Amino acid sequence: MGDTQFHFRIRQCPGRKPTVKAHNAYNRDCPITLQSESAYYYGFVYFRQTKDRTIRRGYFQKSVVLVTKLPFVALFSQLVSIIAPEYFDNGEPSLEAACHDIDQWPDPIPGDTLNLPIMGTVIQVRVPCRSDRLVGGVQAKSQERHTIPAHSVLPTLHEVDIYSAFHSILPHVQLLWELVLIGEPVVVMAASPSVTCNCVQALINMITPLKYCNDFRPYFTIHDSEFKEFTTRTQAPPPVILGVTNPFFAKTLQHWPHIIRIGEMGGLGTSPKPLNKLKKAASLKTLDSKPGVYTQYKSFLAKDKMILKRLMKGSQSKRPVEAQNAILRRHFLELTQSFMIPLERYMASLMPLQRNISPHKGAPLLRQFDPEEFLQTVEHSGPQLTSGIKGDWEALYRRFFRSPNFEGWYYQRQREVNQKLQVLHMEALSNSNLVEWIRDKEEVEIVDLILRIKEKLKFAINNHTVVQQESVMKLQKHLENIVSALPDDLQTVIKT
Amino acid sequence: MENSKPYCPGASPYNKINFHPKVKAACAENRTGRVGLKICKAVIVGDVSVGKTCLVNRFCNDVFNRDYKATIGVDFEVEKFQVLSIPFTLQIWDTAGQERFKCIAASYYRGANIVIVAFDLSDEQSLHNAPKWMMEASENADSPIKFLVGMKRDLLSEAAYTEIETRAMAVASTLGAEYWPTSSKTGQYVQEFFFRAVAMVFDTNLIRELDASTVPAKQIGSGMIQVQRENSQLYEKKKKSQCCK
Repeated sequence: MGDTQFHFRIRQCPGRKPTVKAHNAYNRDCPITLQSESAYYYGFVYFRQTKDRTIRRGYFQKSVVLVTKLPFVALFSQLVSIIAPEYFDNGEPSLEAACHDIDQWPDPIPGDTLNLPIMGTVIQVRVPCRSDRLVGGVQAKSQERHTIPAHSVLPTLHEVDIYSAFHSILPHVQLLWELVLIGEPVVVMAASPSVTCNCVQALINMITPLKYCNDFRPYFTIHDSEFKEFTTRTQAPPPVILGVTNPFFAKTLQHWPHIIRIGEMGGLGTSPKPLNKLKKAASLKTLDSKPGVYTQYKSFLAKDKMILKRLMKGSQSKRPVEAQNAILRRHFLELTQSFMIPLERYMASLMPLQRNISPHKGAPLLRQFDPEEFLQTVEHSGPQLTSGIKGDWEALYRRFFRSPNFEGWYYQRQREVNQKLQVLHMEALSNSNLVEWIRDKEEVEIVDLILRIKEKLKFAINNHTVVQQESVMKLQKHLENIVSALPDDLQTVIKT
Repeated sequence: MENSKPYCPGASPYNKINFHPKVKAACAENRTGRVGLKICKAVIVGDVSVGKTCLVNRFCNDVFNRDYKATIGVDFEVEKFQVLSIPFTLQIWDTAGQERFKCIAASYYRGANIVIVAFDLSDEQSLHNAPKWMMEASENADSPIKFLVGMKRDLLSEAAYTEIETRAMAVASTLGAEYWPTSSKTGQYVQEFFFRAVAMVFDTNLIRELDASTVPAKQIGSGMIQVQRENSQLYEKKKKSQCCK
């Protein structure tokens, strides 16, 4: 009864256009974790249920759902909470007016602070940028001069309050971090979809700046099209994170390896003592199971007692939830970075040397990632350099390598590096004296060169944002000069 | 100080024609606090097709479009100013006159500092409806500064205009609003009107702020302020800054 807010995530029908074209520019510069979804939609829901005798079923129940491909959880939750009550009170014109307001919104340019007029107020929010510094808030300051004062400033586009989301299971957060990192199947059970949404979204958020590459459903119901697929007992549970409220799932998903049970969020001061013991999943048979984490998973890393102590102290001294959230967030950001820095460093070592880039050979490629070679570096320059947490980091890496999170990260880096190499190669080609070079070459070699230059120019068009305009112009000049040095008959062949 | 005058002395219940000395002093000393960081919200209301959107377009974009296109819901513009060298921002919410959007209007009026009731000088009925608009908008606003603005001045002969002006001024005075006749087509009085509105809300806001935080310690040196400073360039309107388009 009353108003409920939550969000869900659904698969797009196969065969539809994968991305909205306008999102391409955004996707290029935004943090990887905030890219628009290529195969999924988010739905942000505001649901109202009230007694109403004038309606035959005795209740008024309606939802306003905002559908989008952008994972701006904080913004869209706020937005739908502004629009929906207006709609319930005043009917369709308010939706029309809201759509008109949204229609006037500027594009989400990463790094910009947006002023978004809606229903008589202006929401101000900054769109994060891939080049943002993740620790400290320096980038926000440099933006201030472009900013117009606004009624309501939203501190974040997409982050949820992970402290409140995990409040009742705080002692296990680091274990949960591992589960998310290595892409284990996790189900979150709670009484209300608002709780499951927050918790699932918080889980995904924990491994920032790494992108969580498996499927996840903040609110999954028996009506979802993947219900059969996800709950089947003939296969191992799929590597997804689900949020569920229907008690039916307590039985259906009993065999899942990791179950998080969260009670309703009570008043933060009066919450029950966080449960320290992990429970075996099999003990989750009855519907009134206590909050906790039900798993047999043995974590690779030792529990960081410092952060828990700090949070406990904060909660005793009534530190604001926002501050607690910031502390916990920062902790996981540092942990994830400690985990990723050795990988980033190893990746950099796979780059070919600058002097190996020759204009007359193909662009060099990145060396293959070799897990064993990497793991040898962990001993002397692993996460222990930046993190005090002890444990079997090597084994954690081995599990991570088998997860889509690793794959997603690796392909992203590979793409970036290879693009960079292409650019360097192109610059090398544009800076070399080609007219001199062709002087003693056979025609067939010259034609080959022309084809290579044309290839490069094509690359430049497809990657115009990273390519220097100057090298493109140089290459075009080269091309003209080389072609004009050829015999007439060959020139006409090449031009067609 | 020309810009801060009302259209004519009899047309305004607001008798200040200059910035309050306290305000000028505060600005000169740069102790305006957070006034510059505040937003001033203006809503424009009035009958359908009296020319609300045209007025905003003339002021914000300096264009006039003859084709009529009904506003859906509300349009939004932002304009930045320098008032006495202090940056100041005006939000303009240009509402739809159509009846079907009436129900949503209250949420758009909320917290407005300026209420502009627009009417068509060549359409007596739209003046007649002005008090109703003023009442509805002011109810949800934040003790706003009120304006009654006549549109389409260019369509009227001098004689016809003089006749309507008397009636408009009478309506304005019962509403406690300041009256302005404008033409978005020719641009007549458009800028003067908006500058006046911004100056008044700036003055009011700052006085409210200064009174709220009387700071005796800062009185040192206040004798040295040149209150009479002749300031021909009170406003340098900054380059058009539309945040949303």
